[in-house]
Amino acid sequence: MTDLFGNLALGFNTVFQFIDWTIPLLGVTIPIPVNILLCLIGALVGTLVGVLPGIGTVATVAMLLPITFGLPPVGALIMLAGIYYGAQYGGSTTSILVNIPGEAGSVVTTLDGHQMAKQGRAGPALAIAAIGSFFAGCVATILIALLGAPLTKFALQFGPAEYFSLMTLGLVFAVVLAKGSVLKAIAMIVFGLLLSMVGSDLETGASRLAFNIPELADGLGFATVAMGVFGFAEIIRNLDAGAEKGRELVQQKVTGLMPTVADLLAAAPAIGRGTMLGSILGILPGGGAVISSFAAYTFEKKISNNPSQFGKGSIKGVAAPESANNAAAQTSFIPLLTLGIPPNAVMALMVGAMTIHGIVPGPQVMQKQPELVWGMIASMWIGNLMLLVINLPLVGIWVQLLRVPYHLLYPCIVIFCAIGIYSVNNAPADVIMAGAFGLVGYWLIKHDFEPAPLLLGMVLGPLMEENLRRAMLISRGDATVFLTRPLSAALLAVSLALLILTFLPMLRKKREEVFVESEN
Amino acid sequence: MTGFNRRTAVATLGALAMLSAVPALAQDYPTRAITIIVPFAAGGPTDVVTRLVSEHMSKTLGQPIVVENVVGAGGTTGATRAARATNDGYTLIMGHVGTHAASVALYPKLAYDPRTDFEPIALINGAAIVVAAKKDLPPKDFKEFVAYLKANEAKLNQAHAGVGAVSYITCELLNGIVGIKPVGVPFQGTGPAMNALVAGQVDYMCDQITNVVPQVNGGTIKAYAVAIPERSASLPDTPTSAEGGLPSYQASAWNALFAPKGTPKAIVEKLNAAAAKALDDEKVIARMKELGNDIPKPEQRKSEALGKLVKDEVEKWGKFLKPVG
Amino acid sequence: MSETTGHAQGNPKKGLIRGPQDFWGGLALVALALFAFYASSDLPGIRGFQFGPGTAPRLFASLLLVLGAGVALTGLLTPGAPLERYHLRGPFFVTLAILSFAFTIRPLGLIIAAFSSFMIAAFGSTEQRWGQTLIVGIAITAFCCFLFPYALGLPFQLQPRFMLQ
Repeated sequence: MTDLFGNLALGFNTVFQFIDWTIPLLGVTIPIPVNILLCLIGALVGTLVGVLPGIGTVATVAMLLPITFGLPPVGALIMLAGIYYGAQYGGSTTSILVNIPGEAGSVVTTLDGHQMAKQGRAGPALAIAAIGSFFAGCVATILIALLGAPLTKFALQFGPAEYFSLMTLGLVFAVVLAKGSVLKAIAMIVFGLLLSMVGSDLETGASRLAFNIPELADGLGFATVAMGVFGFAEIIRNLDAGAEKGRELVQQKVTGLMPTVADLLAAAPAIGRGTMLGSILGILPGGGAVISSFAAYTFEKKISNNPSQFGKGSIKGVAAPESANNAAAQTSFIPLLTLGIPPNAVMALMVGAMTIHGIVPGPQVMQKQPELVWGMIASMWIGNLMLLVINLPLVGIWVQLLRVPYHLLYPCIVIFCAIGIYSVNNAPADVIMAGAFGLVGYWLIKHDFEPAPLLLGMVLGPLMEENLRRAMLISRGDATVFLTRPLSAALLAVSLALLILTFLPMLRKKREEVFVESEN
Repeated sequence: MTGFNRRTAVATLGALAMLSAVPALAQDYPTRAITIIVPFAAGGPTDVVTRLVSEHMSKTLGQPIVVENVVGAGGTTGATRAARATNDGYTLIMGHVGTHAASVALYPKLAYDPRTDFEPIALINGAAIVVAAKKDLPPKDFKEFVAYLKANEAKLNQAHAGVGAVSYITCELLNGIVGIKPVGVPFQGTGPAMNALVAGQVDYMCDQITNVVPQVNGGTIKAYAVAIPERSASLPDTPTSAEGGLPSYQASAWNALFAPKGTPKAIVEKLNAAAAKALDDEKVIARMKELGNDIPKPEQRKSEALGKLVKDEVEKWGKFLKPVG
Repeated sequence: MSETTGHAQGNPKKGLIRGPQDFWGGLALVALALFAFYASSDLPGIRGFQFGPGTAPRLFASLLLVLGAGVALTGLLTPGAPLERYHLRGPFFVTLAILSFAFTIRPLGLIIAAFSSFMIAAFGSTEQRWGQTLIVGIAITAFCCFLFPYALGLPFQLQPRFMLQ
């Protein structure tokens, strides 16, 4: 325990470092809290990047890498980390306001968040997302400081078999998310899985479903499909005659900006549970963070007394996934800090940033560079506090944005999305593909298919297939590994139980329907 | 289109024309920003090296250098784009052992030939390949390891970062020389592959020295050999492949700067001089060394030397790699 | 995308198909699954303990086939929503704007690409007051040209390529 306090003190000392700076013309020397300022810049840029649809965190961190050349390493990393979790905050804003998820983690937020916005409750939705994220950030920071090392050992227990079972559980979550017909939701998941097959096969390099189109050789990007089926499709739908009038009406009825006490009371337990789930899943490098937000959503929906509220603007449906994905974003630093192994693309960039600054992250980074590691951990807490302070006043501005007449707002969204998608790979073909997916999404809406399960299927597909194949390769074709390894077996058991829980009431209802029909 | 739209467009064009620069001559080069295409993700080894060197080069050349990451198909997407770019010296590519050597053997339908479609500028660095294994693998040294590979071929799992990746091609080379065909377990990048090695889920892998050093120093994995002629300063205790009795196993993940075919000689020379100057800078050297990179000796930095290296490497990988897909 | 308003306002109770929305939606998924199955039919499948690259695509295509058929069958047998009307104006201009951006961004640069894309997209709505739209278009183009290349440092080229040479 004293160790922990010592370490945290070291961290906060690092963050609150003052560097004397002489103003060139006046000759006055003033102390400047460099790291705090860098943390603030990172948080601001991150928020901006998160709000802009399409521009990914990966792209921005990459672009800002050279700017950090001239900075001291600790400051550079604090700033980059700030961009990363700032983007998590900002990402929820577009999901709620315009129904465009920037990253896999915020797909779930669109479900209830955008419904709340349509009901004139965008303010409370945004505020609760910020508050939930802040709470999650605080808890996760403490968790990293306290349990980083033992949690890493836990994460190393996860081999291909466990990841496969975890992804299976993820797919079951995606089913439970469904608002309407479960059959159609499953069909959408499988559609998503099929889309994820496009590209080249990891094991053999064979080109699959790519039709010799070079642009498809590496598969469909998440941002491309998400901008299409959410962003562009939503715009096209709104342009349909009549829908526009409905939207203008929505803009009139914006009520309070801040959540009421009742809202807060309803959201508080959901935030707590979301934080727990997100913190645990975030540690798993092979896609744990991806499924954290819908695990949290599913969990809330399952334990709720009133599950039918979900998908219709339930505040819990915003609070839980937002807390979960922020907690996961935070705890996904653990493998990086304790092992030096990046669990995702953004973390790989952080490793790049560290190496540019001459720090080669590895299992010894905590002993060799304690002020770096603890400085980063302390900066996370401060960064989260800053983000809360930045985001709560911004809620008012964002809600004002909804008052912009839709016929002026939507062309702006179109070009922001187009620029965003283009910037991911600097590839015009991605923009065209997103346009095509916009039409697919429009068609899906017309046939009442939900796009969220499709996207989740798309994210989970490769993780699931790769881990299945890896597990089978390593076990030399023995499929029992999924049941003989305890963690894997437990995850599969939970999946099965959840499926039964989902289908039982449906079967019962079907029977009732049949009876009603026959009586008629 | 309505009238004022067209009028605005014309006005905008006019304003832009006034702002635009005068046509550039080779002796003025460069008059605007230069783009270096990095065919891999930002933050990866090639990207880091490019950013280190280009920062210094832009000071020498007096113009900013923009790094553009064009990812895809084992780096060949970016290389294809560079091969087709205007050959005015404003679009360059940081090619590497994969895109400018192994790709010829791996992808029969490759849209470019690294030997003829580019003007070689300069070799930038080499990163030794290290043969690494999980920490409780029985063999004590590289000789025993090679014998162990032969004896246990059927039960071994070798990790790699996907077909065509450096970790894939360099281990194919090792396996080919030793004469075994272990089960290759693919991962999405070297990070997850290293994670599996640390966790002991796979037995061995071949990777760039940068990724291996911290794990070896931390005692989470062990290194059997470095596949370069002399021991590396970053891993002084690890013998070379020759010391371990396998001198034919030589592999390095090199990066080198290329321009599209037909780029004026004067421009290539100017760029070569700027790159060579960057490689003499103490700060650049220090950073590169920290990453475990070898800095090419002056005679290796010449553009002709790079042209020859590409030819030799294409031939070398052609012997051991089979087409994918 | 080509099936337009044809079946639009049918009464769901009438006719053979009781839920046209699900029926046609399901059928389209079946068609998609068959296509995916055909497209992946030349990929090798399971060999020994190794899953081939074709196994998973064919597995998912088969699953989608069954599920699509299930959705279509539900639409055939149980009463459901009618087909919704498709509109052309919105999809056409928004798609055109996206395509215009994709084709102009590299040769003509960000200024022209963003502005023309904005104006084309604006045609998708019937409610534009063009003076206002033009001002917003210019303002947002200027904003983008500052934000992306300068504030975020992304490698965007502002002017047309021919002006650079």
